[in-house]
Amino acid sequence: MTKILDNIKSDMYDMFLSTKFELRKHYRRNRIQMAVILSIFLASVFYIVPTIWNMGLADTAEEFASTNLGFVNLLIIISGALFAGDILSSEYENKTGLILFPTPQDHNSLFIGKYLASAIATFSVVTIYYGITALEIQYVYGISGMGIEFMKSYLFSVLYMFGAISLIFFFSSVMNRSITSTLLGFFSLMMILPITESVLKMVDIEPWFLISYYEGFITDLLGVIETSDFRNGGPFGSSASFTPDFYTGIYVLLGYTIILFILSLYFVNKRRME
Amino acid sequence: MEKMVDDGYAIRAENVVKKFGDLTALKGVSFKVKKGDVVGYLGPNGAGKTTTIKLLTNLLSPTSGNLYIEGIDVNKNPQKALKNVGSLIEVPGMYGYLTPNELLTHFGKVYRMNDERIKQRIKRVLKTVRLQDWEHKKIEDFSTGMKRRLAIGLALLSDPEILILDEPVMGLDPKGIKEIRELINSLSEKDITIFLSSHLLNEVSLTCNKVIFLFEGEIVAYDDVETILGDAKHNRISVEFLNPLSKDEIDDLKSLKYIEKVKVDGNEVKIYNSGKKERMHKILTILIEKGFEVVSFSYEKKDLEDLYISLAGKSEGGVK
Repeated sequence: MTKILDNIKSDMYDMFLSTKFELRKHYRRNRIQMAVILSIFLASVFYIVPTIWNMGLADTAEEFASTNLGFVNLLIIISGALFAGDILSSEYENKTGLILFPTPQDHNSLFIGKYLASAIATFSVVTIYYGITALEIQYVYGISGMGIEFMKSYLFSVLYMFGAISLIFFFSSVMNRSITSTLLGFFSLMMILPITESVLKMVDIEPWFLISYYEGFITDLLGVIETSDFRNGGPFGSSASFTPDFYTGIYVLLGYTIILFILSLYFVNKRRME
Repeated sequence: MEKMVDDGYAIRAENVVKKFGDLTALKGVSFKVKKGDVVGYLGPNGAGKTTTIKLLTNLLSPTSGNLYIEGIDVNKNPQKALKNVGSLIEVPGMYGYLTPNELLTHFGKVYRMNDERIKQRIKRVLKTVRLQDWEHKKIEDFSTGMKRRLAIGLALLSDPEILILDEPVMGLDPKGIKEIRELINSLSEKDITIFLSSHLLNEVSLTCNKVIFLFEGEIVAYDDVETILGDAKHNRISVEFLNPLSKDEIDDLKSLKYIEKVKVDGNEVKIYNSGKKERMHKILTILIEKGFEVVSFSYEKKDLEDLYISLAGKSEGGVK
């Protein structure tokens, strides 16, 4: 029993070391700084620009939040690609795995640590975004402007973030080149899945299984716009009208997070430095 | 539960086969390395040296067979097997945006060293690999040789009992090669087991006490360096004279005792004999006594390919 506990303790420590090392690498490559700057910029621009140009801000806190948080999805995709896109593939492509892998560090702990580092970095960036937006709402509309909906949107964003990170992490576990895994992760969430979603809707199939189908909840949860209102059209037009179900969305995002994460671990553990 | 068989061997390979698709890189390789031995794993490019080293460090899995480090199966329990192992494999990437201090601190913790020990070891290994002034500089600013030295420093960081080095002098300048050679020799005095792959016979002969010859995925010889080096000599002596020999002198030379055949090329002559040292000495003595103006006298070494072929020929029917 003591030996099992010691092994768990040792594996947890390996995980912690891996997470810390990856965060340091992100920091040294200025990736954290870039994502934080982007987050601050996106969160501030909808307050600063109208204020400077005397254009006036939204009438209600919910409307302001809805406009501001419309870019959370973009921020998650960019940060996810930045932090998880090459996190596994680069170890093989750049041959850094030749110093990282032949050590007494448990490989599963090492890979989980890498995932956690990507998630922590992206989570921090998303939290900064919501934090700045909350400060702006408090300053302009007062503390009562922030309702439970704002917190729901934040929690949903975090869940969406985990799904997106798992998808990008999965590409990184199977691709040989860093650029391929990063771009595939980025464009999957930005273009490939949304286009697939539109095509499926066009042929009257509800794309309930696509992660991108639920991204609208980030702002919908604020109670300003209904997802079905702005999703009926799309580039190809559509005769079908679908409304994503919130709870199905939760399950789908959890599914993406868990299944793709497990698949990533499976594939990266099978992978060898040939 | 992994069964541990500590049989006094630091490294053991048992009938290891490794296939990459249709290509069989290792064809049933078996060897044992005693603790404290410095073993050269010698073979031409493509012989399977790096494959063996990657198998030993769990970067690859064998198609069949087993590899053990201190009695622990590397592929079944890599964490335990690699605990006392330092390794340098191929030309590794080095996270250019980090400094040696950051890199070595992380790996020190991976090897469960405490902060004080990590600090001490970093100073020590960076001094050993002559990078003490570069501890806080970014690795991306390092030359190829410096990166190679840092990789060796990383292999030494945990003060390992077993060192696995894949072509350690590759990419180094002559000064760097000499330093690494001296470093390996100093480590071997500390009773560290060193398993060193190389395609350079001379390199191995200067650092190792045992040599394993690998040729086309098979071990063709495993012996002491002296024995292997004996095999590396041709039974041919190259003699340079001050002036080209006259026809009479050549006839005279051909008639001398112990000389089987003579080939003349200007003032250079190849003398074929039995290859025994005593006879070579006699030939030299006779030449001097007879008044031949000898400038140089040396036996010719076989090149590596010749040696592999002769060893492979000897080992026909079973590995020596």
